Amino acid sequence: MANRYDLIVVGAGPAGLTAAVYAARARMRTLVIDESIPGGQVKTTHKVSNYPGFPEDITGAELAAKFTAQAERFGARIARAAEITEFDLREPLKRFVLDEEEEVVAPAVIIATGAKPRELGVEGEKKLKGRGISYCATCDGAYFEGKHIHVIGGGNSAVEESLFLTKFAASVTIIHQFDHFQAEASIAAEAHENAKIKVIWNSEPRGFLGETTLNKLRIENVKTHVVSELETDGTFVFIGMVPQTDLLKGVVPLVQGGYVETDDAMATVVPGLFVAGDIRSKRFRQITTAVADGTIAALAAQKYVRDFKG
Amino acid sequence: MSDYVIEIAQDQFEANVLASEVPVALDFYSTECPPCEALAPKYTAVAEQLAGQVKFYKIYRQGNRDLSTRLGVSGSPTVVFFKAGKEVGERLTGEIKRSDLKQAAQALVG
Repeated sequence: MANRYDLIVVGAGPAGLTAAVYAARARMRTLVIDESIPGGQVKTTHKVSNYPGFPEDITGAELAAKFTAQAERFGARIARAAEITEFDLREPLKRFVLDEEEEVVAPAVIIATGAKPRELGVEGEKKLKGRGISYCATCDGAYFEGKHIHVIGGGNSAVEESLFLTKFAASVTIIHQFDHFQAEASIAAEAHENAKIKVIWNSEPRGFLGETTLNKLRIENVKTHVVSELETDGTFVFIGMVPQTDLLKGVVPLVQGGYVETDDAMATVVPGLFVAGDIRSKRFRQITTAVADGTIAALAAQKYVRDFKG
Repeated sequence: MSDYVIEIAQDQFEANVLASEVPVALDFYSTECPPCEALAPKYTAVAEQLAGQVKFYKIYRQGNRDLSTRLGVSGSPTVVFFKAGKEVGERLTGEIKRSDLKQAAQALVG
């Protein structure tokens, strides 16, 4: 017998948890499913400085815990580390099976699965992942105490996480494809002032070398096309994100980049199916824009469920 | 910690992992590591399902640096599989799915 909810949210990042706060406060029976622990990308972000209400910086892990506690306080159930092993989003009553064990159904679903770190797709990356190549500074930074490491990227994440990694590493060399950072000016300035941080501009990685662990990084200068090999103890990759749309392929049309288009109520072409957060086609992806999406999706879902017959 | 997952230190590696008669899964974990925290309940669940067929150990990476360096483990979590004293199969790392872990562990049996 399936457990019936009013709303099922997939993805416990800022968008999904905000949706859960609104839905649970409206006394909707709300389930949030996440394949990991709650928090989405925020939980592995070293610090957050631009989320209103926290004039002193807050760590990503703390902010994620607060979002989660708030959703649970109003009665939302959060299924942690749960894998969706079956699903059907086309029926009026949408259905999921968790870990091959528990069947859950609801008339309204919000997909807020966000995005995961983009991989470079260069030679040696798959083989050396976890053997010197990392996508999570808070997880793996401590492995590189006193080491000479590299960071690929030049946006907010890359530069912020480089600053964090200087707590452990002897040196952090950022490899960036352009001749200036895309990161916000204040973060970029902090990086330029940090003695442990060096930057190699106009360069892109071409390969990761090493038998069992990463020991060399091959880069190409995109202006001169000179290829060189650098010794490295470890390399962190922060080159943006790819949307996680596995549940939506063939269900709703995906636009360029794999994102999902919605109307201004976060509704998709499938009745009762909403999307929120980084997975949505939009111009800016921030924690603040994710929580806004989550709010709107929950309010729209509430109305949908109220009118739902079945 | 459950009855199915046992925490070891690096000085127990030879006896518990390499000399084990049944295949072994070994999870290197760290603190302040959300994907490690996410793996823990899945690791326990799969350990319970394969009880008697595969042994599931976990080891705290920060406290056991020599072993992680020796095995070339530099990311958490990393699950390494052993059979008859040798590393076998592909390592799992990062956000690990329960179904992938189960599949990899089942492949060690028989």
